[in-house]
Amino acid sequence: MSDFTRQGLEPLRTIGNDTPRIDAIERVTGQAKYTRDWKLPGMLYGKVLRSPHPHARLVSIDTSEAEALPGVQAVITYENAQVVWGAGSVNGGRQYNDPTKAATVHRRYIFNNPVRFVGDSIAAVAATDRHIAEEAVSLIKVQYEELPFVLEPEEALQADAPKVYPEGNLCPDFQGEFKPMVSDVGDVEVGFADADQIFEESYDTGFIHNAQMEPRCSLAHWQGDKLVLYTPSQGISNCRHDTARDLGLEDHQVQVIAQYMGGGFGNKNQNQDADLVAATLSRRAGVPVMLEYSRREDWLGVHGRWPTVQHYKIGVKDDGEVTAMQMRGYSGMGPYRKNSGGIGGMDAYGCPNRYREISPVYTNRTTSGNFRAPSEPHGFFGIENMMDDVAYKIGMDPVEFTLKNMRRPTEERPFTNYSLDEVISDGVERFNWQARRKVVPGSDDGPIKRGAGFSFMMFRAGVGTSSAIVRVNSNQEYTLYVGVTDIGPGAKTTMGMIAAEALGTPLSNVEVVWGDTDRCPYSVGESGSRTTIMTGLAVVEAAEELKRQIADKGMPSGSEVLIGSATPIPTTDGKTRQCFGAHFVEVEVDTRVGSTKILKYTAVHESGRIINPTTARDQIRGATIQGIGQAIHEDLLYDPRSGQPLTPGYYRARHLTHKDIPDIDVHFIEVDDGYGPFGAKTAGESGIILAPAAVGNAVANAIGHRMKSMPITRDKILGAMA
Amino acid sequence: MKTLTNVNVASFSEAASASQSVRQQGNVPAFSGGGSDLLQQIKDGTDSADVIVNLRNVADGRTIQSDGNGYAIGGLVTLTELSEDTSVIAGMPAIAQAAASVGTPQIRNVGTLAGNVTQRPWCWYYRNGFNCFKAGGEECFSLNGENGQHAIFGGGPSFIVHPSDVAPALVAFDAIFQVTGPTGSREVSAEEFFVLPATDPVRENSLGEDELLTGVRIPSVSANTVSTYYKVMDREAWTHAEVGVATVIQRDGNTAQNAKVVLAGVAPIPWRVRAVEDFLAGKQINAAVAKEAGEIGIEDALPLSKNAHKLPMTSAAIETAVLSLAAG
Repeated sequence: MSDFTRQGLEPLRTIGNDTPRIDAIERVTGQAKYTRDWKLPGMLYGKVLRSPHPHARLVSIDTSEAEALPGVQAVITYENAQVVWGAGSVNGGRQYNDPTKAATVHRRYIFNNPVRFVGDSIAAVAATDRHIAEEAVSLIKVQYEELPFVLEPEEALQADAPKVYPEGNLCPDFQGEFKPMVSDVGDVEVGFADADQIFEESYDTGFIHNAQMEPRCSLAHWQGDKLVLYTPSQGISNCRHDTARDLGLEDHQVQVIAQYMGGGFGNKNQNQDADLVAATLSRRAGVPVMLEYSRREDWLGVHGRWPTVQHYKIGVKDDGEVTAMQMRGYSGMGPYRKNSGGIGGMDAYGCPNRYREISPVYTNRTTSGNFRAPSEPHGFFGIENMMDDVAYKIGMDPVEFTLKNMRRPTEERPFTNYSLDEVISDGVERFNWQARRKVVPGSDDGPIKRGAGFSFMMFRAGVGTSSAIVRVNSNQEYTLYVGVTDIGPGAKTTMGMIAAEALGTPLSNVEVVWGDTDRCPYSVGESGSRTTIMTGLAVVEAAEELKRQIADKGMPSGSEVLIGSATPIPTTDGKTRQCFGAHFVEVEVDTRVGSTKILKYTAVHESGRIINPTTARDQIRGATIQGIGQAIHEDLLYDPRSGQPLTPGYYRARHLTHKDIPDIDVHFIEVDDGYGPFGAKTAGESGIILAPAAVGNAVANAIGHRMKSMPITRDKILGAMA
Repeated sequence: MKTLTNVNVASFSEAASASQSVRQQGNVPAFSGGGSDLLQQIKDGTDSADVIVNLRNVADGRTIQSDGNGYAIGGLVTLTELSEDTSVIAGMPAIAQAAASVGTPQIRNVGTLAGNVTQRPWCWYYRNGFNCFKAGGEECFSLNGENGQHAIFGGGPSFIVHPSDVAPALVAFDAIFQVTGPTGSREVSAEEFFVLPATDPVRENSLGEDELLTGVRIPSVSANTVSTYYKVMDREAWTHAEVGVATVIQRDGNTAQNAKVVLAGVAPIPWRVRAVEDFLAGKQINAAVAKEAGEIGIEDALPLSKNAHKLPMTSAAIETAVLSLAAG
């Protein structure tokens, strides 16, 4: 079930109507060409040799047998192909750019020595078929000097811990200094002195792989000095720019093509090492090279969400007013810092005294990086369980406690609009919160216990400037050129709908050209939940520009065309543009076997005006499903003695199957804040932020024990009940 | 390059002979019924087979026969067929339920009875290529490592758990296991078929080189027999049992005359809980008895450092299974 409450919004012609994806037929009939479907004449197949050790120096490498194998046409190693993978490790985890490149002290190369995790890459081959490539890799002889390794972030900061880098294991910040990330607002000591009660608790969360269906894959084809790269990128323009920078080329020497791709969830931002390895192999061999990772390689060789430890201290008055919030957190980044290691959530509270210190830490686990709302779900799990716990301990309804303490716009920090009160009260009513939650947690008789949990969020999109081009011919047929692809949220369709609405023509009369950097103008990329608002705005303005020309010159005739284009700089006049959400979940925990079943799930979101209800609804549902899996199942377990990963892949990580997925009621409150295209705000990542916290709170409400370690697996529940 | 040779055979005895001659030529044979797991093991390097003795063309072993009392189930019967067979559902629901609980529909459509019963362990050390007992090594890495899914009964020196759901149900029905080798066929009881690691740390059953399981025979199922398979899974599909309980009771009114209780997922072989069986004999099946049965069921358990949660889970599963067989 899902529905929409439109507040003062006039219905539009195209926008707001359930619209199938414009490429749906191609996708479901198998006509869609994904990267691995391409076959180019003379194409070779690549394969990467990966470290079997968590930490080892490479003493020597002998590729002679591999090179002698018939069918092998290129072998590259850490000795002869030291290509920097810029976006693979950056100081502060910031978006990769020239200043970041200059500041970054710990480089990640496509092949590394020493190798720093099981799965780190050492060498690669290209051969006439996959089997020969595989055999050639097995013929490469590497002499390893095994080094001590460390897996847990807090342990890695001990003085006697094995060092992943000579400087130690605390990751450097934007300036290249080895300091934690600190946010200090007000004065927590004053806040704690004001408090009637102080609560301290620790939470931890596991590593979660993005688990997108399509593993990393790249087909590189050099045409003279120009590289054509077929790759499933979430942002073709950024992929082109980063690839050019890493290979020492100009942007115009790289063409990135991503017509169709099988999901990313943050795993395919920027360029990937697969792109650089394929490009290097192809250049060496002089023919196109296809490199496709196996599921295991994708799981271990790319990245997932960072595991964290979070130590909280909260001061609160007897009336429920939070006076001070403090958190010291540790994020396990693996050996290369691909994103910040942030632990979000505290900013959703208005408390004037907040201190947060996060140490992103190098370890010898697989790399941590972008995953849908990179800093948020694990942080919200921690802080919202903490706050829920405090609320029950001081005898308050957690919803009331939230309404009293959540962040609201201030004169100094205004928002473009604020709807969190309505979002929460709408959810309370739809879910029947008062009837479902247990005022006394764990109070159900018998071993099968029900309880309800709630969480809320606000989330801000990434920024960036996109361009769009719209053309009309004398048949009054429109073509939209826009540099997006569809990683799941349906950007191709959304952009087409926005163009159709702005042009006053049916969607069927707008051809959308996407996914090719030589044919489409720059777009920010499908990351940071920003395509609809950033690129969508460019589409609106390009359409307006074209309409002005048509008004001026009349519709084109004969072979004439008219072309409108725009590169607007989106602004919110200094206000913060947030989307809002609240999730409510009822669970049933069988305390005899430790199982958690979702009985009811209600998600209420305010993301401005919804462009395509079909895909917006599915964004929230899909994200919620990921969040539930993260809450109760997913982790990457390591053997502590050997540093070997034990649970990569769909079977071991226990993602929800179709049979596990509950009905998820999605409701949108629609408003127009006056800034986005037709009033749209951001949606894509926001849905995943809430489920871990909501499910955790519901389990605690059901069983009467706070579960402080995510995933909340059955052994932990049974341990708490014992 | 890893090359696989396929050898088609038309009968079980031909399969055994083919396997023997492959071995004599210095190669490593493997029987393949459904092949759903075998091929992945070969790709992962945890099975070194290079010749596949393909059983897809074997005509025998594909039927379920019942004379209303006893049953004969072919080893090549698929799990889907086993779970949907009306005579099995009527007389031995525990077996049908166990088969229906395996993996996914895709796996059940190709997976066979014999393959399910003789599949290799799914221990994450073994499957990730550790040189453990099951791989021919000298150590069980779970003992001082991650053992949350490992054995609480019958462990040592290996602490794997037997992965089959169907096997405990067969044991609970006193199935006789039919084995064919190069020199002929033999029948063995469950006690002889499944082997604890203390006896053989490498293999989970007594199949000799070039021998294969061709089917099972259940000699007699009395009219007053009731049965169930209760499986605790970590999600609703595509997992092995955290714990499974096959329970077979000969019931007079609501009194258990005889009971068999066999566990999956907690021991290196399908694990008979004889203390529970003895306790149930002659008892009324009710909530109090079921609860006590659950408690008795874990009295001999020896948990490792990280799998103590399997004790209450096993108790609860036995309780649930037993109580579900109460009359009325």
